[in-house]
Amino acid sequence: MTRLPVATITSAGQAPIAPFVGLATLWVQITGTWCNLECRHCINASGPKSPWIKPLDAATIARAIREAEGAGVKEIYFTGGEPFLHGEILPLLELALAAAPTTVLTNGTLIGPEMADALAALAGRAAYSLELRVSLDDTDQEKNDRIRGAGAWGKAVEAVRLLRERGLLPIVTATEITRDEHPAGAGMYERFRDFLHAQGVERPRVKIMPVFGLGRQPAGAAPPLTEEDLEGFDRSVLQCADARVVAAGGVYACPILAGLEGARLSTGSLEASFQPTPLYHPACVTCRQTGMTCRNS
Amino acid sequence: MPEQLGEYRRIAVFGGVYSNAFALEALLADARTRDVEAVFCLGDMGGFGPHPDRVFPLLREHGVLAIQGNYDESLASGRTDCGCGYTDPRDNHYAAISYRYTFEHTSAEHKTWLGALPRHRRLKLGPHRVLMCHGSPRVVNEFLWESATPNGLLRHLMARAETDVMLCTHTGMKWHRALPDARHAVNVGVIGRPENDGRTNVWYTVLTAAPDLQVEFVPLAYDHEALAREMDREGLPSEFAETIRTGWWTTCLENLPARERARGKY
Repeated sequence: MTRLPVATITSAGQAPIAPFVGLATLWVQITGTWCNLECRHCINASGPKSPWIKPLDAATIARAIREAEGAGVKEIYFTGGEPFLHGEILPLLELALAAAPTTVLTNGTLIGPEMADALAALAGRAAYSLELRVSLDDTDQEKNDRIRGAGAWGKAVEAVRLLRERGLLPIVTATEITRDEHPAGAGMYERFRDFLHAQGVERPRVKIMPVFGLGRQPAGAAPPLTEEDLEGFDRSVLQCADARVVAAGGVYACPILAGLEGARLSTGSLEASFQPTPLYHPACVTCRQTGMTCRNS
Repeated sequence: MPEQLGEYRRIAVFGGVYSNAFALEALLADARTRDVEAVFCLGDMGGFGPHPDRVFPLLREHGVLAIQGNYDESLASGRTDCGCGYTDPRDNHYAAISYRYTFEHTSAEHKTWLGALPRHRRLKLGPHRVLMCHGSPRVVNEFLWESATPNGLLRHLMARAETDVMLCTHTGMKWHRALPDARHAVNVGVIGRPENDGRTNVWYTVLTAAPDLQVEFVPLAYDHEALAREMDREGLPSEFAETIRTGWWTTCLENLPARERARGKY
């Protein structure tokens, strides 16, 4: 088992608390931390060997989707690891899309013409929007592949092309990991938008995420949140106030901290996790400071 | 003053004026021909268009029953942004231009009027209990797009709000969902700008208790070229006037789900 670097954390008992206001977003860590890539900045140290969070079985996922639908969930996200490694990804996506709009977070490297056809057919017959978030950390092949591994850029760009040709509009998702390697003033959104236009994408969609100091990325020096840090701040805007993650081993407070003991809120039902969350981890500081969300928007 | 629970048989409802007084005038004339007992507005009077102050006399003189949108709330409380919650700097750039212009051109009296609007309205339409909100019953700036609003969420929101019919706006695109339990959710659309379909008309909604609920989306033509010319004269971004002239959205596209985005040009 890969050990995650453990940053300074407060014990859950001392940490400030975020309320639970109702389930808006269900995250399904469908493949656990099983991935065909091994990106240098991966928040949960996913990789091809011995995933420290195991993939989920279809029955567990189906149960979570049913529970979430009953709780009035607004959207569902499949993440991992790499979701397209799961042998039942398509029937599970179909099931999710019958309940709510569903997004897959993917590195794009496993989306060939056949999968792109299947996804287009699924999107066409689904009641709600199917969203595909394709990760690309830099528009430059060399810079991207230094982070994500040799060949990752080419395959992701090809996936964007295959999806675009079938009328799907993937959201290209980048972290700020190589931001400082570009001249000051060259905005990331503009750079990615220009790149996608040049690839023939008429309706470019881009999402930028901060880099978190956990998983394979060294932890920053930031201490965990205190009550003082949160004075006058509306904690209900934090994503742990209305999101839950189903992963092997339980239900967790947010996608960043899935699999970590301190963020586990239930070892059983989804509903049992509908309770306040301790903001115990340094990653909680990033959410507080940046207002970031792992959702599409 | 406590909100009075009105009882109606047939009403007209619209959202998102976005300072489009031309469309509002056209709507008020059109609604008069449709035998409606009252006209309701679900908020966001300003933003996007020119001369925001021209909208308020029309709303008030014609007795339009309004609620507050996120834009109205921001203007009334002196916020520095529209509360739309964009992250893309391009969207924020255009949203900031629009908000600054609207803030500077909305009189103090009208800001006070916006601040006094209720956030929700309840009424009876025949046997149906109706709740009017701007974004959703729970959050003023929540986007309820057709392809991203599941039935489970609608059941949940409407059960909590104790209503049979939920009317909202905020996204700029109309839709109607009849749920299996005879409840209805309707996004009434907006009259401030066309709905990203390459047509220049805008839309409003007529609801009738017959006694089953009937929902009719009404296309509304207006002098959109005159509006676009005024936007140009006021120095508003040419991208805004392009939307009015072509029917395609050009800015603030990041929140659109895949299906709605795929229907547009940009």
